[in-house]
Amino acid sequence: MGHGHAHHHDHDPAAGGDVPPALDLGVPDAELAPGDLSRRGFLRNAGLLGAGAAATVLTSGTAAHAAGHDHGPGGDHGRTGEFQWLAGDHHIHTQYSSDAMYRVVDQARHAQAYGLDWMVVTDHGSVAHAKIGVDKVNPDIVAARAQLKDLLIYQGLEWNIPAAEHATVFVHPGRNEVAVLKEFENAFDGSVKNAGDSTPANEALAIAGIKFLGEAVRKRRVEGALFLANHPARRGIDSPHEIRAWRDADPSVAIGMEGAPGHQAAGLPGGGRNRGYYDNSPSAASFPGYPLESYRTWGGFDWMTSTVGGLWDSLLAEGRAWWISANSDSHVNYLDTSQRGPDSNFDLNGKHNDPVYGPLLSTAGDYWPGQYSRTHVGASSFSYRSVMDGLRAGRVWVDHAGLIKALDVRARIAGDRRRESGTPLGGVLRVKRGTRVEVTIDIDLADTPNWSQFVPTLARVDVIAGRVTGPVADKDAFTAPDTKVVKSFEVAKGTGKVSFTYSFGRVDEPFYLRVRGTDGKRSQPGLMGAAVDPFGPALDVTGAADPWEDLWFYANPIWVLPQ
Amino acid sequence: MVLRQPHLGPAAVILGLSLGHRTVREAEHWLAAHVVPLDLADLVACTHLVAAPYPHVALSVAVPAATDRLAGLPSTPPELRTAAERAAAEHGERRSGRAVRYPGVDRLVGRLTVGEVLANSAIERVVVLGGATAGPELPLDTRDFVRPQWRDGELVLVVMPHHTGAVAPFEVADPTPCCADH
Repeated sequence: MGHGHAHHHDHDPAAGGDVPPALDLGVPDAELAPGDLSRRGFLRNAGLLGAGAAATVLTSGTAAHAAGHDHGPGGDHGRTGEFQWLAGDHHIHTQYSSDAMYRVVDQARHAQAYGLDWMVVTDHGSVAHAKIGVDKVNPDIVAARAQLKDLLIYQGLEWNIPAAEHATVFVHPGRNEVAVLKEFENAFDGSVKNAGDSTPANEALAIAGIKFLGEAVRKRRVEGALFLANHPARRGIDSPHEIRAWRDADPSVAIGMEGAPGHQAAGLPGGGRNRGYYDNSPSAASFPGYPLESYRTWGGFDWMTSTVGGLWDSLLAEGRAWWISANSDSHVNYLDTSQRGPDSNFDLNGKHNDPVYGPLLSTAGDYWPGQYSRTHVGASSFSYRSVMDGLRAGRVWVDHAGLIKALDVRARIAGDRRRESGTPLGGVLRVKRGTRVEVTIDIDLADTPNWSQFVPTLARVDVIAGRVTGPVADKDAFTAPDTKVVKSFEVAKGTGKVSFTYSFGRVDEPFYLRVRGTDGKRSQPGLMGAAVDPFGPALDVTGAADPWEDLWFYANPIWVLPQ
Repeated sequence: MVLRQPHLGPAAVILGLSLGHRTVREAEHWLAAHVVPLDLADLVACTHLVAAPYPHVALSVAVPAATDRLAGLPSTPPELRTAAERAAAEHGERRSGRAVRYPGVDRLVGRLTVGEVLANSAIERVVVLGGATAGPELPLDTRDFVRPQWRDGELVLVVMPHHTGAVAPFEVADPTPCCADH
């Protein structure tokens, strides 16, 4: 096949009659007035045109791509190579959260020391935060940006999604970053608006909030805005239809969910609780279809992601692009030696006083940003924009405890081994029916000790695949019966690079694939049965879940669409 | 310990109630204050999660013999009657419902074996989260809080592995509240 990256993206025209010329892809670039052309370029780059406007990969691209790679909805348009893989964390609290304590710069300096390139400050949405914290935290963030040049620090918030769980919402830095976040929080936060109940009206408010963020980008108030659902299965209140509706509300904003929650130290003996603080039971607000298994973590991951053939796969099997991440959710960190500032008046000041030296926190459940959980984004450059583009494109893999050093997964036409060809994570490979397709997996094994002072050993890599069956009729579906582990590779060596290839043969039907790996220390048959996932992640044990002894990485999917 | 196999025959009276409690904890407090003192033999009292007309917790109370002691309980407001009827029906069919009071519950304290739990209470099956059935010798750390559920006609207790080496009930009495240091 072979084609450059300059190919014209002739996506399906935006639907509707009265679309402005910039939005009407039926009007070629050459026929646009300069102002419209500039606007179209901006929108296209922000992932808001064509494929970016689609919830599923099935509606992006055109038949003209008889043999070509494509991108999932959004992102920076089908790049295939020369990525900088930038590690980050989009879920971090500071003293501007009532239940947290660190300064912004404390979190930022630790994030940098632990090897992160980007981070998002996500203090809880609340009345005090909407009134005070959202403003006050900004100068702290601006100062930290100036102090730590090699770290990208976004301002965001942890949104109380009306009728649902929490979510990270963040924006590109700029002169309106605070104004947009503040307006958003005041108008759409479930706590501020007393809209926590699972009612249709509150679900609609959540949709309106996501649309507001998309509009803020289209109006060029901010250069980008993203939404990722946090700890989605923790309380069973993110129903499948809500997740689908968030994505549909604006696919350039609502891009995914935490595949692994934070609080990974919470299952250690000191605290005696569950990994991730996943110790809830169903409530009246919970989606009644979720089994009890969904309320616990499996190998440190959220049930929606850890179950092969489960909720995440049901979205991917629709062709619905929905990405996963892994974060610290740092509030108060395990084995830290500080405590919340004394004599704080959070409601009055919107923040706790600066932390002070205090007793050893052996029962805290969190790790510092980057200490344990990392979200790796394939970015075209080290910039705020590129990280958001990479996230939107789904060019993302996640790991715990530095299980591996680097990962390159590509769907390829069989035999094509050029380094920068093939379709990377989050992408769509479009081929003629009957083309031989394979996936290549290139891994740089860990070569330096992680933050618990051992070099992790990768034991096994699994390729998971399933047929793409199109949009579901039942928006509350959460199984993908055709998805399973199709191949497991044992890793025979402990250092250097390992490469695996799995052939899908001649492909006639649309499908997707994703990859996961483990240190192999804990496993049990998957919840959909041993025939689907013979060595899946094991249920984490209350009070005995040493997260360093149970390591996994997960990569986001690639679709293959024969046509 | 006196071993007894409590009899859980068909209920003579099943009362559905819905008083708009927002959480299972509130519903349990109400049961403790209003139903437990009635001193009903072989009482089974359950909570039921209900979505309509708004998310709340309904109740069902079943006893094996006819009694007039339930007559003093408050009546369900009209807008919650469907929820109350549904709770009674689910309990009657033993399809769903989370049992707070049931024969033997007071004996389920400290560490027991799965076999002792089955022998000493109305719980009919113990399953490990993820699907496996627990063998009778398996130690079970009750944490003094045991809430089985009706499933397919049986009163089933779901457990999960615990750091003590035993299993423990899936449900904990003090789940981590939302936004409490996390």
